Amino acid sequence: MSKESYHVNRFELLMDAGFGAQKAGDILISAFAHTGRYVFIEPMIPAEISPPARSRPALSGAIIRVADFDLENIGNTTDLMVAQHEIVLDRRLDDEEYSPSCRVLLDMGDQKNNQDSYEMVMKRANKAGLRVYPFEITDEAQTILKFLAGKGKNMYYLGMLSAIYCVPEDVMIAEIKSTFGKKLKEEILNKNIEIFHQGHEYATQNIDFSFEVVSESNGEGEKVLIDGNTALSLGIVDAGFKLISGYPITPASSIMHTLAKIFPKYGGMVHQAEDEISAVGTAVGAYFGGTPSLTATSGPGLSLKQEFIGYASAAEIPLVLADIQRSGPSTGMPTKTEQSDLLSSIYGAHGDNTQVVIGVGTMLDCFYAPQLARYFAEKLRLPVFIMSDFQMANSYKVIPKPKTFNLKNVEDISDEVLNHFDLDRLPLDIEMVRDDQSNPGVPGHMRRVTGLNTDNEGKVNYFAKTNQRSHAVRNEKVHHVRRSMREPQMFGDCREGDVLVLGWGSTHGAISEAVVSCQKQGLKVGGLCFRIIYPLPLMLADVFKRFKKVVTVEGAYGDKYKRTPLAMFVRSKTLVDVYPMISRATGRPITPKTIENQVKELLKNL
Amino acid sequence: MSTSTDSPKITIKDLNTENPRWCAGCGDFSIIMGLKRFMVNEQLAPHDTVNVSGIGCSGRAPFYVNSYGIHSIHGRAIPVALGLALTRPELDVFIHSGDGDAISIGGNHLIHGINKNFNCVFILYDNELYALTKSQTSPTTRKGHKTNTQPSGTYLEPIKAIRLVLGIGASFVANTADWMPDHLTNTLSAAFAHKGFSFVHVSQRCPHFDPYNFEHKSTDWFTFLKHEKGIAPDRRLADKTEVREHDPFDLNAAFNLSNEDRTYFGLIYHNPDKPSYVDIVRSQLPESPAADTSELFKPYAI
Repeated sequence: MSKESYHVNRFELLMDAGFGAQKAGDILISAFAHTGRYVFIEPMIPAEISPPARSRPALSGAIIRVADFDLENIGNTTDLMVAQHEIVLDRRLDDEEYSPSCRVLLDMGDQKNNQDSYEMVMKRANKAGLRVYPFEITDEAQTILKFLAGKGKNMYYLGMLSAIYCVPEDVMIAEIKSTFGKKLKEEILNKNIEIFHQGHEYATQNIDFSFEVVSESNGEGEKVLIDGNTALSLGIVDAGFKLISGYPITPASSIMHTLAKIFPKYGGMVHQAEDEISAVGTAVGAYFGGTPSLTATSGPGLSLKQEFIGYASAAEIPLVLADIQRSGPSTGMPTKTEQSDLLSSIYGAHGDNTQVVIGVGTMLDCFYAPQLARYFAEKLRLPVFIMSDFQMANSYKVIPKPKTFNLKNVEDISDEVLNHFDLDRLPLDIEMVRDDQSNPGVPGHMRRVTGLNTDNEGKVNYFAKTNQRSHAVRNEKVHHVRRSMREPQMFGDCREGDVLVLGWGSTHGAISEAVVSCQKQGLKVGGLCFRIIYPLPLMLADVFKRFKKVVTVEGAYGDKYKRTPLAMFVRSKTLVDVYPMISRATGRPITPKTIENQVKELLKNL
Repeated sequence: MSTSTDSPKITIKDLNTENPRWCAGCGDFSIIMGLKRFMVNEQLAPHDTVNVSGIGCSGRAPFYVNSYGIHSIHGRAIPVALGLALTRPELDVFIHSGDGDAISIGGNHLIHGINKNFNCVFILYDNELYALTKSQTSPTTRKGHKTNTQPSGTYLEPIKAIRLVLGIGASFVANTADWMPDHLTNTLSAAFAHKGFSFVHVSQRCPHFDPYNFEHKSTDWFTFLKHEKGIAPDRRLADKTEVREHDPFDLNAAFNLSNEDRTYFGLIYHNPDKPSYVDIVRSQLPESPAADTSELFKPYAI
């Protein structure tokens, strides 16, 4: 085996759904993480549970990026693919995310009955410049596979990958044991280890290359391996929420799944409602009673919840919603990413809109956002959105174990959290439409709320001056946030120059990598991602004026007549001609390289 | 249930707020008065009472009772009330909902509120049409009745609300009318005593849009149900119409009544043993103080 050394390398395991590709990936990245490497993982999940095997929709897998430096995104292109058969490979080639020197390990097990198809796909791969390495599952391993009723191929591929990536076998076996140890009978576990060993042996003897990513350490102190939705779920617990009320929807459901296991221990309840509207209604009712509550959903659910969102702002009931965006419109692509709900969150409810929108782009954002959302919701008694997306929710990586806060009273929110979001503390007293905001149980106060307009005593009132005042008071709450916002942190060290790249949410990692890379090449390129996307900080136009051109990178559709949501919104608020440099709604993450190339293209014509 | 023992007695006057903005002769006045009488009888602490409503004439009810209140959005009072029941089970929750609110736009929530059997008194203000939006056909409008959306006469047979909720599995089903103050108040007392989702159907007059509905001066068209564990027939009207013995614990007998075209006032069905979703969810909460979050990341450590 000839050994090639890399600072960063990306590979993917492509299988039919239900064969454990992601599980195998999890084991390998856990081994990487335990041996000092940095990892970033993006699972590929089909929208259906069990699409027919050997069909294009069945593609399920994991993309894994491993490096000797910290990673915030899934990167650019793949250096190695392991494919269970030609169909999943063919499907994945469509995405054109391979590097020019990409190698493909193709399992030839299905070739016998699919000669033509194999030949065609291998030709396609060769034509694209990929080097295809056909391989077989050994007879000995086939016998074990039969014993395991066809399951276990993932362990064979895992064995091959660990040999290629030079992860010691004993490290891998320890990971396999800790993953399956309690779930599998010893006999079955041993068979899995045996298959793994077979794959490892096969690659060692038959594959003539190996990759080494050497890293002594992936950071000091305690570390955790976590995905965005789990970080958000733990953040919900740490922020002191006591009720999550939701309805099953991809990709938000995993928040409820995680909380269903742990929330009661912390005094929290998970309520599965009969529909999306009911889910938000129950959160509203609970918060009227003074209990921190939230709902989590995705695009279609957000549309259904809008009436209650407007209601909460009129009735001055705190409300927190997490929207884990997916590709739309309508049902769209439930397991693909997009950032197109931005305007629905800002302007979605009818009538004048007053709310705060937080966007998450890192694991720490996900963990802190619930605290900040609760702080805003209770201080302002307005709806607060936490906007994540499929990419953010499902990608995972190793991070230093975050500090926990166990937040009880929102006034005790830590400066550390506020600083993270570039925010000063809100004023202690904030005027409400209705003077008395007592919770039930307090004698003599009897707060009665309504979606109708009211005066400051809470009495229904349709008079001109009172209605104008209600609008002013609600909007002033948002203005308090505006005034508390500092200049957003920028990537790297470029504070003024030629191009400023803007983003929000899950494009954070790719933008920061691209911008810092440009800066290292001496280019005057700045970058920032909004962590609070509504409202925007008041000095933003001044920040923009320090650059010749301000552009956005968004996972949302745009063309020459249609500006993308962020570009349109930021432009309207600053009157700076923000140009939508990248507006892609492919469902795939935008890569650092794409951003860097586009920026360089712009610089040429500046 | 919470009653104020050491504070002065609650009177009707304490429960009044502003003059309701309902039409003269509207049955909603009587329902609200019945609720206040019941609250005085039971000495319910108004600050531990929450009235929750949706949209429509009935939706305004919380504003006319001096307790805590949520006038929410159309059809969605049940989910809002459930939020309170889950997180503040010590509060007494009353839901006020019209026939359009409960059976049309909010029909899904009615199904699941009943199935969850959380503790509340649900009052269906059934005037058999949409009134606040000016006379449209509702799910309980009688066939042939002319409305602004079906001016030649309502097309379909009405949904029988009581049969509907029995079918869903309601644990407490009673029927009363706004013009029988004693019966109404007694019905609310029985509903309140039941721990679970107590469904109270109230025939409610709408003299403005349908003055000839509910011949409330006649007694020919209804029967009172009576049982030692039931609700006593209205004092004023009992001797003017049929009174029938009915076992409220007999589900088949309840279904038989609900299938008839004749109206039966009284306790139609009662199952005190149906479990409550809220009790089940809350039983998972720790008895000792909740854990602090310092160990939150433990399962994810590498």
